Amino acid sequence: MNRRDVRRDGDRQADNKLNLDPARGEDWMHLDACIKCGACTAQCPVAAVYPLFPGPKSVGPDAERLRLEGIALAPGCLAYCTNCKTCEVTCPSSVRITDMILQVRRQEQEAGTGKAICRLGMRDNLLGRAEYLGRLGTLWPPLANTVLGWKITRRLLEKTLGISARAPLPRYGRKFRTSDIVPLVGETQSYGRGETESYGCVKTDQNRRSAKKVVYFPGCFISYNDEATGQAVVKVLEHNGFEVIVPHFHCCGVPLTANGRFREATANAQHNLGLMQPYLEQGIPVIASCTSCGLALKEDYPRVSAPGAQRIGAQTYDLFEFLWVLHERGELRKDFREVQVSLAYHAPCHLKAQGIGTPSVRILRLIPGVKIQELDAGCCGLSGSFGFKAEKYELALQIGSTLFQRVQEGVKEEAFQAVATECGGCQVQIEHGSGAPSLNPVWVLYQAYGLGISSAIG
Amino acid sequence: MGQGLEKGSVRYSVQVVIIGGGATGVGILRDLSLRGISALLIEQGDLAHGTSSRFHGLLHSGARYAVKDPISAAECIQENAILKRIAPNCLVSTGGWFVQMPGDETDYVEAWLQGCQEANIPVREIPVQEALEQEPLLAKDVLRVFEVPDAAVDGFKLVWDNAKSARRHGGRYLTYHRVNEVLRDGERVAGVQGENLLTGEPFTVESLMVVNATGAWADRVAATAGASLDVVCDKGVLLAFNRRLFQRVINRLRSPGDGDIFVPHETITIFGTTSERVDTPLDHQPTDREVQRLLDVGETLLPGIAGKRLIRAFAGVRPLHREDRELTGASGEGEGREVSRTFALIDHEVEEGIKGFLSVVGGKFTTYRLMAEKASDWVAGKLGETAPCRTAEEPLLPALSERLRRKALALLPCAAAEKMLERLGQEAVAVLETIREDPGKGQLLCECEMVTVAEVEKAVADPDAHHLADVRRKTRLGMGTCQGAFCTYRALPLMWREGEKYDPLGRELIRFLNQRWKGIRPILWGEQLRETEFTRAIYAGLLDLQDKGTTTE
Ligand SMILES: Cc1cc2nc3c(=O)[nH]c(=O)nc-3n(C[C@H](O)[C@H](O)[C@H](O)COP(=O)(O)OP(=O)(O)OC[C@H]3O[C@@H](n4cnc5c(N)ncnc54)[C@H](O)[C@@H]3O)c2cc1C
Ligand code: SF4
Ligand code: SF4
Repeated sequence: MNRRDVRRDGDRQADNKLNLDPARGEDWMHLDACIKCGACTAQCPVAAVYPLFPGPKSVGPDAERLRLEGIALAPGCLAYCTNCKTCEVTCPSSVRITDMILQVRRQEQEAGTGKAICRLGMRDNLLGRAEYLGRLGTLWPPLANTVLGWKITRRLLEKTLGISARAPLPRYGRKFRTSDIVPLVGETQSYGRGETESYGCVKTDQNRRSAKKVVYFPGCFISYNDEATGQAVVKVLEHNGFEVIVPHFHCCGVPLTANGRFREATANAQHNLGLMQPYLEQGIPVIASCTSCGLALKEDYPRVSAPGAQRIGAQTYDLFEFLWVLHERGELRKDFREVQVSLAYHAPCHLKAQGIGTPSVRILRLIPGVKIQELDAGCCGLSGSFGFKAEKYELALQIGSTLFQRVQEGVKEEAFQAVATECGGCQVQIEHGSGAPSLNPVWVLYQAYGLGISSAIG
Repeated sequence: MGQGLEKGSVRYSVQVVIIGGGATGVGILRDLSLRGISALLIEQGDLAHGTSSRFHGLLHSGARYAVKDPISAAECIQENAILKRIAPNCLVSTGGWFVQMPGDETDYVEAWLQGCQEANIPVREIPVQEALEQEPLLAKDVLRVFEVPDAAVDGFKLVWDNAKSARRHGGRYLTYHRVNEVLRDGERVAGVQGENLLTGEPFTVESLMVVNATGAWADRVAATAGASLDVVCDKGVLLAFNRRLFQRVINRLRSPGDGDIFVPHETITIFGTTSERVDTPLDHQPTDREVQRLLDVGETLLPGIAGKRLIRAFAGVRPLHREDRELTGASGEGEGREVSRTFALIDHEVEEGIKGFLSVVGGKFTTYRLMAEKASDWVAGKLGETAPCRTAEEPLLPALSERLRRKALALLPCAAAEKMLERLGQEAVAVLETIREDPGKGQLLCECEMVTVAEVEKAVADPDAHHLADVRRKTRLGMGTCQGAFCTYRALPLMWREGEKYDPLGRELIRFLNQRWKGIRPILWGEQLRETEFTRAIYAGLLDLQDKGTTTE
């Protein structure tokens, strides 16, 4: 082989496809590509506000070379990475920085070195299992919300489990179920999303068996905290003539990974891939409305050993990415009604990491009356369950402070009324940090299609 | 130290002068000092600036020589065990594998196993499956794998630790002093004279005896005394990869040849080597052709080698004693010459009637202590000293205290603490004290190798450091992935604070960048090309160095 044949991009693609298993030791994380420019650390939202976190360059590619030598980093400092992936989006060399970080956490966990204090272990266990927590909550949402609303409960949670008493734990709602969408009656029904907001929702007769099918991956936030938005997503897809299939998925695995439960994350991925496999084979696209689920499906699932893993990466779409594809093909329905609303848009970190731009902004701008501006003010700080942790609550707010400030100013100057963002976590944290209302952009589309009225838009 | 007697000339007086501050020279300095013989070592550059830092860094188990050179093999395994005992801080017992590949001579394996057994080199066969699991990058078609006690040795550190140990026992050394002439007083040598290269001042040393340990320079130095030596300079090229590719030394199991050894060193892997006659020891520029040849050969052991990131290429020059090589197979040739087939001690009294003058040539880094022992025995014999050699028992440095390690871990991120302890040993105390007083100095100045501001500050202030390259060898600054792109300019303010010592800084900077460039140029493709372009942007763009960057060394 001639050394001058080395073409980076070609190599890299091959790497991505072939070197799926880190144990093989190949440079699939592109350690060799790092030119030490430090751009990743300059952009890391945590390193910017927390001096004890040495930043992605240091804990990623720098430490990786030492790790190969057998010298490990102090386990504690890795826990401050929120896995927002801003570093990877920034890196000009495609270094898989967060994969390096996660891999070390995985190894630490397997070796038992990362086992911090038992209490935190249990907390991470709980937060990692958004799904179980969710199932529990949705069994009887009013009770869960009330109990979680009690100060005493929250103080207890903080004392016993290290879950911050001040953090905005999302409220639990009715569980999202496919059967909810099956009845085909044209009546208005209201779905609660807490006492302050409620969205009108018209059940339509669109979901007749159609030749055009999509699989919808709702994710935990939709499933357990915000099923109304799930309904809206389904309606919008149905409005465009798709039959929406929602198998009984488990959690995508991102919160498990972020809390160091790697084996369970893989098991979940295998379970979910098993459910998707028959559809994937027929070439049916998988739609995710949660940007973290979408990222996991696109980036992590292809590395899992399970049937369907080869297809999932290419066949997964973010909801608005999918709608934009339809638009470009001339297949998106544009029977829009005017929606008079001015919004700010916050791009979730895991949407940025997908590298697809901000398709929801593009779609919303097709709707007459909609004014939407991108905030571009960085990370909200919550990062899944990071901001729930007692020792990281303040830090999370600090990370999001630029964003919150921008939102507060905008609302005060009446530049916009609410913040649109796809990620449920971002919605909760933005409301908590800035006091401004937030919503999933799908509601604007929902209203424009005449499927119902969203109270957040008015 | 001695007083200048004549105007402008510094004089020293000592029993023995050793010329050459490589492994051999400092080994002799330590050995003599431990015997209580007063000795002064003269080195023209920094210690280990010759072949002893431009080598592969393999502490041979001897297995490589098991077939062709059984005496070497036996010497290596014996020294291997001794050094692991006396210098654990300078080496890492990685172990080594000999792997047989398809097409390698099959009868060689049997002869090799036989040779290892005779030399007492422990060998263990590793099942291929297991081997591939432990070294996933190794070629999948490997036929057989054997484990031997090879190790990785840090040449620079070993040389300095010898020098420091010698100093504790009264030995002295002068760096950046070049010997221009070995002085004669009739039949006897009378000392040496030369120049302090930092100040331009001449110096003279009076001594009873002179030991010439100048490696590839030995013939030139001998000639100044009117003695003749036939030394052949043999250039070997080495490639440094960005990361650890293998966890242990990987040798190819066949007759020793080019490109058949990988040695893991700290964060990198060094692969080599080649063999080519050159006219002078200063010719250590690797050529494109040599680099390409190494990669072609290396592909067999490490498929896809050309796609792995190289950070630099460098070369060293082996000093081969010609007669010695030609006489391979003969032993104890001629009186007055104690010859093992691996190195030669040449008593110039026997050769050309010059009394008190010994040249030590050839050998390997691994056997430096043995060469030093033999040379010191000769010196002691001539001086009538009877104290025995103690270098095989006496550790170079006291062992690292657990308290120090805990203190380091409390003040620095774990990886940075470990690396610093590796580099500094007990001397880390001072650095830690600085960081404790001013935690800001715990910041990493070199991020690739995790070197703190405090450590660089200490290295810069060290009286033995005269150039940025000396600081580099002491700290590994500039030796990682970025090859000095960031740490170089960060180190400059610290040097500036030392005042006149490093004046002028601009020249230091250019010299250092050019030294780095020399190693990068032959491997300028792929990721390192991107890195270099980035480095160029920093120095030629931001710092506007473009037109002046012509200083070479
Ligand atoms: C490419 C390569 C790879 C090698 N790999 C290995 C290996 O893996 N393992 C191993 O055991 N061995 C190895 N060797 C061999 C080993 O490096 C050498 O045998 C050993 O370093 C020689 O040490 P030395 O002290 O004799 O010479 P040097 O280290 O060269 O020391 C001689 C010193 O004399 C100084 N000097 C010269 N002239 C003067 C003067 N006039 N005044 C003052 N000072 C002067 C020079 O500056 C130099 O520092 C390798 C050699 C090469 C070239
Ligand atoms: S994932 Fe986010 S928090 Fe973690 S290192 Fe990268 S930028 Fe920083
Ligand atoms: S990981 Fe990427 S962004 Fe970070 S230092 Fe390396 S090349 Fe630069």
